[in-house]
Amino acid sequence: MRPFSILFFKELRSFFLSPMAYVIMALFTFLNGWLFVSMVRAMQLQASQRSLIHNLFGSGWFWMGFLILFPLITMRLFADERKMGTIEGLLTAPVRTAEVVLAKYAAAVAVYLVLLLPVFAFFPLFRLVTGEAAAFQPGAVWGSLLGLSLIGAFHVSIGTLASSLTANPLIAAMLTFVFVMLHYFLGFLQNFGMVTGSVWSDAMSYFSTTEHMNVLAEGLIDSRPIVYYLTFSVLLLSMTHQVLESRKWRA
Amino acid sequence: MIEARHLTKRYAGRTAVDRISFEVGKGEIVGFLGPNGAGKSTTLRMLTCFLSATEGTATVAGYDIYEDSVEVRRRIGYMPENVPLYPDMRVGEYLRFRARLKGIGHRASRGAVGEAMETCSLTAVERKMISTLSKGYRQRVGLADALVHKPELLILDEPTNGLDPGQIRQSRNLIRELGERHTILISTHILSEVEMTCGRVIIIDRGTIKASDSPRNLIRRLRRPGAVLLEAKAPATAAARLAAIAGVKEVNPSEDRDGWTSFSLTTDPQSDVREAVHELALKEGWKVRELSSRAASLEDAFVDLLKEETPSDPVESKT
Repeated sequence: MRPFSILFFKELRSFFLSPMAYVIMALFTFLNGWLFVSMVRAMQLQASQRSLIHNLFGSGWFWMGFLILFPLITMRLFADERKMGTIEGLLTAPVRTAEVVLAKYAAAVAVYLVLLLPVFAFFPLFRLVTGEAAAFQPGAVWGSLLGLSLIGAFHVSIGTLASSLTANPLIAAMLTFVFVMLHYFLGFLQNFGMVTGSVWSDAMSYFSTTEHMNVLAEGLIDSRPIVYYLTFSVLLLSMTHQVLESRKWRA
Repeated sequence: MIEARHLTKRYAGRTAVDRISFEVGKGEIVGFLGPNGAGKSTTLRMLTCFLSATEGTATVAGYDIYEDSVEVRRRIGYMPENVPLYPDMRVGEYLRFRARLKGIGHRASRGAVGEAMETCSLTAVERKMISTLSKGYRQRVGLADALVHKPELLILDEPTNGLDPGQIRQSRNLIRELGERHTILISTHILSEVEMTCGRVIIIDRGTIKASDSPRNLIRRLRRPGAVLLEAKAPATAAARLAAIAGVKEVNPSEDRDGWTSFSLTTDPQSDVREAVHELALKEGWKVRELSSRAASLEDAFVDLLKEETPSDPVESKT
């Protein structure tokens, strides 16, 4: 697995040496910091039935910033290599295509986690600064961290596939954004003119990211979303592998 | 080192490489020569396992390019066309990354990179960003990348493309030097390059091999009628006198200023008529400014070879 770690660190390095990484990180952290503060203010004024965590990660503002992360993180993964032609040197080195795909994917997931961590630093910071217990349980923090990691891992795999399909990073970003959005809104179809409890709404609730987050943000570990996001990530990565290998198909 | 058998690449409705077979022996420097779009790059990409062959196969150092592609790639140093590099990396850093990727250990990579930079005279730019390098330096970084893991076989796709004449000469010398340690297969559409560096030339056009021989033999085999140029102060009637010399087939006079005339003589391939021309000029009292014979070059051989095939070729137009 040595090529894996070499490629992994090369990807990380090239991401964190570009100014874009810090712009994204600053904007995302700022948006969520502002959101966190407004949530705390709102809860001071009016009692809420839900926890702070629930309100923060259930907010539309959070998801707007969150979903934009993935095209930005993943658009360059393969599209840039194809555009510059470096993919030829990469794939004619004695490494397996699977190692290349996994290393790039793992690096993008690592970048995503680094971007996410400041948000989770808010909770201990809040306690430290105010000396008060915030309105949430530790289980809820861990549950939502798990949930966001899984959802992120899945979204990064969408971006990885999109990036392997084109030589233009901008098109890769747009593809990723469209599919990440489509998946997000798919979950809302369960309320779409249907009676709750019908087969349709039950089926659609399996796809619902918000539904998954609602459960996990309570600190409940449900195995269904875990299996769901992991299998889809594996599926999309194996499709990426096929896309890269397709140049070697014998007609 | 390389054994290609019936290597074929077909794209939808178009055959880029059509059942070509050739061999490259250990220690040879072989030039792959052909016009743009002849299928050179496609062939090299198949050999380096970047593309797979539609039909046929090849072995590199005894390993099949399809079955044992990782083993094949371990033994090849490949410089793709136009030398793609990561612009945001420093030269030394890039080469170390490539060396490590090609399986050289952390410690050993330092020495290997130092050596490769030494060979390609890159030591001075080790800490420079690749994006700031000139074309000539980039080419050398690509070359250093290709040979950093000391492969048995170097495959260079148009290594001197886009360089200035001085750089072309430098890289030609470098390639010749490398030929002492590696087997080399280079592709090019520049003839003089092949003529000067390669022990053997494979001429490829529209996906098929047209000839495979040493540059010298190719020139001999494809000897076109010789040509002699005479520039003299002579009357117009001189053309007829020149045409009368044995071995001269045709004379084309063209008048210059001040009574000087250039005659270009087409002769039999075997005969050298310069002596006879000189004697004629002495006898007639013509003043001679130039008398030279133009030997056929590989370029002529190449052009002739391609011309031969042009009229009858219905293969491409179908589908």
